[in-house]
Amino acid sequence: MEPVKTEPVASTTPSERAFDHALSSKTERRTAPRTWETPPAPVPSPHLDDYQSIVGSAELDELRFLARDLKGKTLKMVNSTAVGGGVAEMLNRLVPMLAELEVVTHWDIITGGNDFFEVTKAFHNALHGAEYELTRHAQEIFLTCNEQNRQRMQFNEDVVVIHDPQPAALVLGRQDHPARWIWRCHIDLSNPHPQVWGFLRPFIEQFDAAIVSSQSFARQLPIPQYLFYPCIDPLSEKNKPLDDSFVQKVCDEFGVDRSRPIVTQVSRFDRLKDPVGVVQAFKLARKYVDCQLVLAGGGASDDPEGAIVLAEVREAAGNDPDIIILDLPPWCALEINALQQASTVVVQKSIKEGFGLTVTEALWKGKPTIAGAVGGIPNQVIDKLTGMLVHSVEGCAYQIRYLLTHPEFAAQMGRNGREHVKENFLMTTNVRRWLLLMQIMLRSAPA
Amino acid sequence: MSAAQTTLQRTPVKPFYFNTSAHLMRVTKYKANTLSELLDALRDCPEDSIFQHTFRTLEEHHFIRAGFSNDFAHWALAACKEPSLAEALASVDVREFTSVAELRERFIQILERYLRENPESGERVADETFYFCASDTVVVPTSFQAHSLHEFTEGMRGVSLHSIHHHFIEARLRIKLMSNDFSQWLHEDAGLTDTARSLNRIDIYTASLEDVRQQIVRILEKSLT
Repeated sequence: MEPVKTEPVASTTPSERAFDHALSSKTERRTAPRTWETPPAPVPSPHLDDYQSIVGSAELDELRFLARDLKGKTLKMVNSTAVGGGVAEMLNRLVPMLAELEVVTHWDIITGGNDFFEVTKAFHNALHGAEYELTRHAQEIFLTCNEQNRQRMQFNEDVVVIHDPQPAALVLGRQDHPARWIWRCHIDLSNPHPQVWGFLRPFIEQFDAAIVSSQSFARQLPIPQYLFYPCIDPLSEKNKPLDDSFVQKVCDEFGVDRSRPIVTQVSRFDRLKDPVGVVQAFKLARKYVDCQLVLAGGGASDDPEGAIVLAEVREAAGNDPDIIILDLPPWCALEINALQQASTVVVQKSIKEGFGLTVTEALWKGKPTIAGAVGGIPNQVIDKLTGMLVHSVEGCAYQIRYLLTHPEFAAQMGRNGREHVKENFLMTTNVRRWLLLMQIMLRSAPA
Repeated sequence: MSAAQTTLQRTPVKPFYFNTSAHLMRVTKYKANTLSELLDALRDCPEDSIFQHTFRTLEEHHFIRAGFSNDFAHWALAACKEPSLAEALASVDVREFTSVAELRERFIQILERYLRENPESGERVADETFYFCASDTVVVPTSFQAHSLHEFTEGMRGVSLHSIHHHFIEARLRIKLMSNDFSQWLHEDAGLTDTARSLNRIDIYTASLEDVRQQIVRILEKSLT
């Protein structure tokens, strides 16, 4: 279905002006892309049956059988925000699907003042390895807020899942409740700040299990640590199939020529995504093979560093008419989807990465994908089987040339990549993991 | 009455119940950054880690027809750049083992021999860490059961690939035979010994799991006609 869009008008809003500005000098002659001025209304969550054409009825039956044994059991999810951020986005999809499977799921949000969220933001950064001085005052703010929330909340469910560090100390009240307690960590713990991790660890050890997003995020803990990969929803705006007419329209609006090969990287204008490296790789590759480069991302309008990186990218691109740079607001999911679907090859040349969901999105669309061998990317890109792993600008350039000149190999790799996502990184796989974890936790519960 | 009709009218002694197994991956405390560390961890890790990186990885990468037989071989090639070791590790066929302990021993032997012949490779740091994982497994029924060869074939078409893996590949660890649940049922309960043998000869390493399903269906259809 084609979205309702604003009519093309002169660029009057800040975001429109930013888009016009983001286009290179050559592409300024093209029609300015029309994008949403404000976020569109949320799309209703799909039903389980809507996934049948994607994963098959047998897969859905397995979910129903797994859920059948959990009938009457209840689950509570606790996190720190209802909207915004990946955790809330995931829970907004997951909770209705579990409800449809008759696993009663309550979702509770902790409340806290600015001082609490400043402390937890600092914890978050420190767990990612940033410098931080953990004061007694910060510890008190953290513990007081958790205690206030613990007194306010009920924990009558069979399984309680605490997301991320913010509500981790709620576990101190577990002796009053017979539930199984799970800590779901969405953060990269591979190199945590020792003081902050040392403070949080005693709480984590009181859970029955932890969940991490990558093998490398697991810590030495006395509790089992399960692996839940991040996932994508194949029916979301970002990933659903699109009419070719819509893809064509988006390409026309952005000045992308579909009659020639298209190499795309979708990511924030962030040095860790190496957009300048992608421009360099493209320029090297184009000496041998005709193609265009689309760099579609965001972050330049709300992040001072993003604006600097965008300027660097523009400078590296020069006046090259085949390099199309698009600074898009975060709600342009359909446009991003269309650009990915129009691409011949997708690149994600990150220098550092969490899991790399843009890689998952590209693989799901069956696109031959070239990606930096960092973070969670090697879990998705199995070199030469589901994609190409690269370590340098030159390596990236070579793989662009290779894939554009070996379409049969590229197509097979694209098919493998899609299957890999279908097996491991879809929303339905995640539902299966939650059902399994509930079964395992309740089986091992003391009588 | 023709042979084909005889086959069609035969009623199996017991129905076949299609199940499936669902696995949840755990990260264990074992990891390796060198081949020597891999060998140490192979000796000490729990059996379900060996299962995860051999049987389970075949299921997780069921769509790949070549070049991915187990995680140890893949790591030896991709992270350690040791192609001859990778080749030796990849040649281990899980169907030759009815216990994980024997399978573990085979990998240890290969690695010990390689490190004896190539001692300089033992301490070379790999590009990526190998994390030993393991699985917790829950067996789940499906809505398919077969009281005849026809229903068996229909079930084969309808079940998930996880179910095919459960009965066709993982089964040997359960039944402790160089066979699989499908062949066992065809032989013991349906009296179709030749069909059972044909199924057991399907090469799982040169085909995707969907290819395996199609081959099974073709063999069963041949028995039905």
